Amino acid sequence: MAAVVWFILSVLAVVLVRASGYRSKWKVRQQLLDGACAVVLRSVQLAFAVHRSFQAWVQNSLTQAGLDMQELLQGDDTEAVLAKRQQLSDLLASLPQRPEHLAVILPESKVRENEAIGTMLAGEVDDVEVLCAWGLLAKISHMSIYARDGSLSRSFDSIAGRLRNSKMVARAFDGRTPNICLEAKSQVEHICAHSDSSQPDIHICLWSRDHGYPSIAKLAQELAREVQSGALSPTAITEACVATRLQDSRGCKHPELVLLLDDLPCMSEFPPWQLQNSELVQIGSGERSLGDAVFRALVRFAKIEMRWGK
Amino acid sequence: MGVDVRSWYAWVAVLATLITYIVVSGLRKPVSFLPLYTPCQQLLNYVSQTTRSILVRILRQGHIPAHISFIMDGNRRYARMRHRAATSGHISGFDNLTRVLDWCNALGITHVSVFAFAINNFNRSPSEVEALMDLATNKLRELATKSKLVKQHNVRICVVGNRSLLSKEVQEAAEFAEEETKNNTGMRLNICFPYSATDEISFAVQRVAQDVQAHELRVDEVDERVVADRLRIKSPDPDILVRTSGQVRFSNYMLWQSAKRTHIQFIDVFWPDFSFFHMFCILISWQLSYGQIRQRNA
Repeated sequence: MAAVVWFILSVLAVVLVRASGYRSKWKVRQQLLDGACAVVLRSVQLAFAVHRSFQAWVQNSLTQAGLDMQELLQGDDTEAVLAKRQQLSDLLASLPQRPEHLAVILPESKVRENEAIGTMLAGEVDDVEVLCAWGLLAKISHMSIYARDGSLSRSFDSIAGRLRNSKMVARAFDGRTPNICLEAKSQVEHICAHSDSSQPDIHICLWSRDHGYPSIAKLAQELAREVQSGALSPTAITEACVATRLQDSRGCKHPELVLLLDDLPCMSEFPPWQLQNSELVQIGSGERSLGDAVFRALVRFAKIEMRWGK
Repeated sequence: MGVDVRSWYAWVAVLATLITYIVVSGLRKPVSFLPLYTPCQQLLNYVSQTTRSILVRILRQGHIPAHISFIMDGNRRYARMRHRAATSGHISGFDNLTRVLDWCNALGITHVSVFAFAINNFNRSPSEVEALMDLATNKLRELATKSKLVKQHNVRICVVGNRSLLSKEVQEAAEFAEEETKNNTGMRLNICFPYSATDEISFAVQRVAQDVQAHELRVDEVDERVVADRLRIKSPDPDILVRTSGQVRFSNYMLWQSAKRTHIQFIDVFWPDFSFFHMFCILISWQLSYGQIRQRNA
């Protein structure tokens, strides 16, 4: 009975196809082919997604076999932990090159809320504390931490308070209290104990989108105003002129290493002018801890060769 | 009524031998002393093209980027590995560029940008710079007049960069290529030569000031959109930026455009070795992230 039904349906299908003419038959064939290709595409995309997850899992398993980075700064100061911390500090000091200026791109608040970020990132204040500690451990003099929506600047006071009393930061600085300069768009605070030195041990800038595109637009407006008033000629607006105006007030270099802590390899409107010669390292949220991510980025940076166009 | 297993094995062995012979003799490497080299090569090319067409059709069932941008890095290292001069690496790079443009056109990508020469590449040896300029002059004219892309697919060529740094011959070749293709309505090819992103942004800022001085614009109207409209590259922001050779930096390329929501891919293969398989993987990866990118853009 079932065979009879299938036979009748097949005959009807053939009759319909023949009746609709040659052009429609070609269209139907094309549609069937497109449908088959769509199925293949979805299968390939699924295979890619599975492969990507597998790679991340393998990477995580490998790092678990190594040092527990987070424990070194958060755990109690036992002899074993002190020895491992010294070992790590020596390892970082032995790297052939380290960035003077490290920039870190954190996901913005709405991304943290809406997407599964994983266990690497905690809250913004915690992340800044960990990054500051790692910056001191690796002797990086300048660190810029970027969140597109400006949430870091809004948490300026909380961050300053946390850094002032942070045991993790002190542990990273050999048990002493470091001289930290914390800067946002319109705020600067020196967080230090009794230090006679005017040079901070680490300078942390909290960046947002406002440090990039709006700054360039504002500069364009200022220069246009000067040209309009006759104080400047348009031909004097050269690359050197723009670079001088956009330069950091402390004369700091552009970041040599940018660490992107996001699964999506996009720059989230990071200040474009500052990216000129930066190395970019992307580490997904599946990484076990922020310390692991920073360590891996520094090791990768140590191996690169800058050719400056030659 | 059983099947003779030995005869099956014999058939499989013969088939495997035949396929191996076709592949070996049809390879690009010079093994032309083997008999039937040319037919084998033609057969392999046909199979390769058919496979590529099928894969293109598969990809087109999903989203296709409107603008893809390439940093064509690794030509000299490619040549050095084969013990050849740097210029031959650049020639191989150009040959691969025409193949990549063909794939982009087949995929329906409407804008392609390529980083052909950076302003700080003038720091290279004078002989290499001169060879690159000669190559650019010849290839620009060849692209504009003889290439299948322009003739059949109506590609429009735009040479983007600070042309005042180029010699008169190269400037004329660039103007010729643009003039020959200015009415074409197909894919737009931006050849960045010589280019740097900071030079482009400074140029846009200068143009804003000039337009204000000429009363075409008011000072209070100057914003990001006004600056973006005056950049040299007249294409939408790239959906994908690809850099070959394994280097993981922008090298001062399309910073204004790429620092937004561009999907950045660093591939550890030299540009002349960049194949359709790499392109396929890049596009699949972008299609997987497309929903997330759109959500973040919203």
